[in-house]
Amino acid sequence: MLHRLESLKSCTYDRMDMTVLERQAARLKWQQQNHVVQNNNPAELCASSVPRFQGLVGSNLGSGQMVELKRLEVFLGTDNFQEFLNFPVTGPEFGDSEKLDLLPPEAAADYCISRTSSCQITALDTAVMKEEREDMSLEKMESTIVSGRGSFNKRKAETVADHKSKDKRIKGEGEGESEVKTKCSTEISRNSSKENSKVSEVQKPDYIHVRARRGQATDSHSLAERARREKLSKKMKCLQDLVPGCNKITGKAGMLDEIINYVQSLQRQVEFLSMKIAALNSSVENLPMKEFPAIVANFPAAAKLPEMAGLPCFQLNPLQKESVNCMLNESMHPPQTEGIASASVSISEQSLSSSSMTQLQPFSTWNMDPQGLYNMYNMGFH
Amino acid sequence: MDPRKIMQPSFTAKYVSYLVPALTNIGKQASPSVGRCIDAEKIVRYEIDMALALSAEGFAWSHALEHKLRLNVDNHNHAGKSQSYLAHDDDHRNTMPVNHEPAAKKLKVDRTRSEPEAAEEEEERLTYLRKLIPGGSGEMMVDDETLLSELGSYVSCLELQVNVLRSMLQFN
Repeated sequence: MLHRLESLKSCTYDRMDMTVLERQAARLKWQQQNHVVQNNNPAELCASSVPRFQGLVGSNLGSGQMVELKRLEVFLGTDNFQEFLNFPVTGPEFGDSEKLDLLPPEAAADYCISRTSSCQITALDTAVMKEEREDMSLEKMESTIVSGRGSFNKRKAETVADHKSKDKRIKGEGEGESEVKTKCSTEISRNSSKENSKVSEVQKPDYIHVRARRGQATDSHSLAERARREKLSKKMKCLQDLVPGCNKITGKAGMLDEIINYVQSLQRQVEFLSMKIAALNSSVENLPMKEFPAIVANFPAAAKLPEMAGLPCFQLNPLQKESVNCMLNESMHPPQTEGIASASVSISEQSLSSSSMTQLQPFSTWNMDPQGLYNMYNMGFH
Repeated sequence: MDPRKIMQPSFTAKYVSYLVPALTNIGKQASPSVGRCIDAEKIVRYEIDMALALSAEGFAWSHALEHKLRLNVDNHNHAGKSQSYLAHDDDHRNTMPVNHEPAAKKLKVDRTRSEPEAAEEEEERLTYLRKLIPGGSGEMMVDDETLLSELGSYVSCLELQVNVLRSMLQFN
């Protein structure tokens, strides 16, 4: 940056620079709205100057395409700035017909812009955008920032009130820059609560603040994409807990495979069980069913229905034991039931994969509420 | 998933309290003829699915399931046929798994595949999951994130349902 400045210093202040400066200064006085602080260039305004500056600048901005912050790169020191400011101003030759107002010197004097510190720039003028195309002498600087421009344009729509200070990571500045943490001095930041050293996105009330890691892109799209992906992976982890046997599986597709298999097997089980129940319904009197509301606790069901080895064991509410005994007596080998049961053994062995049988999630026991005739059941496995 | 643990007892209670009377009614009305058996199966299946939908209120899939069931009932009343809500999925089940399992095996070999292909496979699987879950292709679950949440609740409710049905069969 320094060498750039020097080159600028050395070059005569040609018209381009002049008009740029003029415009910039002029815009400070504009009472427009632009809040973009999008410039990726690192520059930091000193706290004391910023409020004033913000007052000047923020309101000045137009539709805020870009923060021509990069211009500030040249302002590496207050004295330099002064130099720029003091340069005689000629009439503007660009379309915008602003008056040439320069920043009050004191504001400039308060500027401290350091390269490595985060840039806290309030919105600057948009017309600078126009100037860029004419800005030959600053081409070098521009080229480094060009990549950020696209995001600026998009962000302009998202920018908020001028008083918010924004941190931007500098894109295209090079590897060194990418490690610069964005910081904001609290005086600068009106949203100091939102701003922290981890912010790498435009400050906005409902923005998701994401920390961009080293070497990763920092434009809004990829950040949003990354946030979305993280949410998805969180959900995938939840599913991993639900679906048995997924602990060893890494990779989204494999997980999804497992989930698919599990859902399918559960659905098949439901179908099979419903067929059995239908068969029972039609063949046997449903007296036991009336008393079913009490769920039975561990009794040797496995002995009777071997295919149901992985049956849940329920904990009984003592009140229900009576009815349970009734049910047990009722269910003691009605011949048809047995016939159905044995006939279904082979089916069940085919349809119920052992993995699903043995891996059904254990539920914790749970005492039910007042209505509660139920306790939570545990899966009992052989 | 803690909400799941909280949900389980109420789900179970609701499920049983819906299903048992319904089955009892069916039992009373059923006649021993074979034709009725087929119908009984479908009716039982309907009641089982409806019990699932009603016991797990508040999820997109349960609303979709209930809606589908009621539609099917209407169709049944008009056309004399009723279908399990998964019926249309059976076709997919038959076709997809054939392609699906080799793909799954392939996946283990091809983990070094390039990103877009892996993403494609994921997309395939997500699409398939949408067919499995009721309402998966509806507008409520367009978002992948929602889909995964719904899947979580659906899976746990399915498990509960299976447990209840098994225990019901224990007595008979």
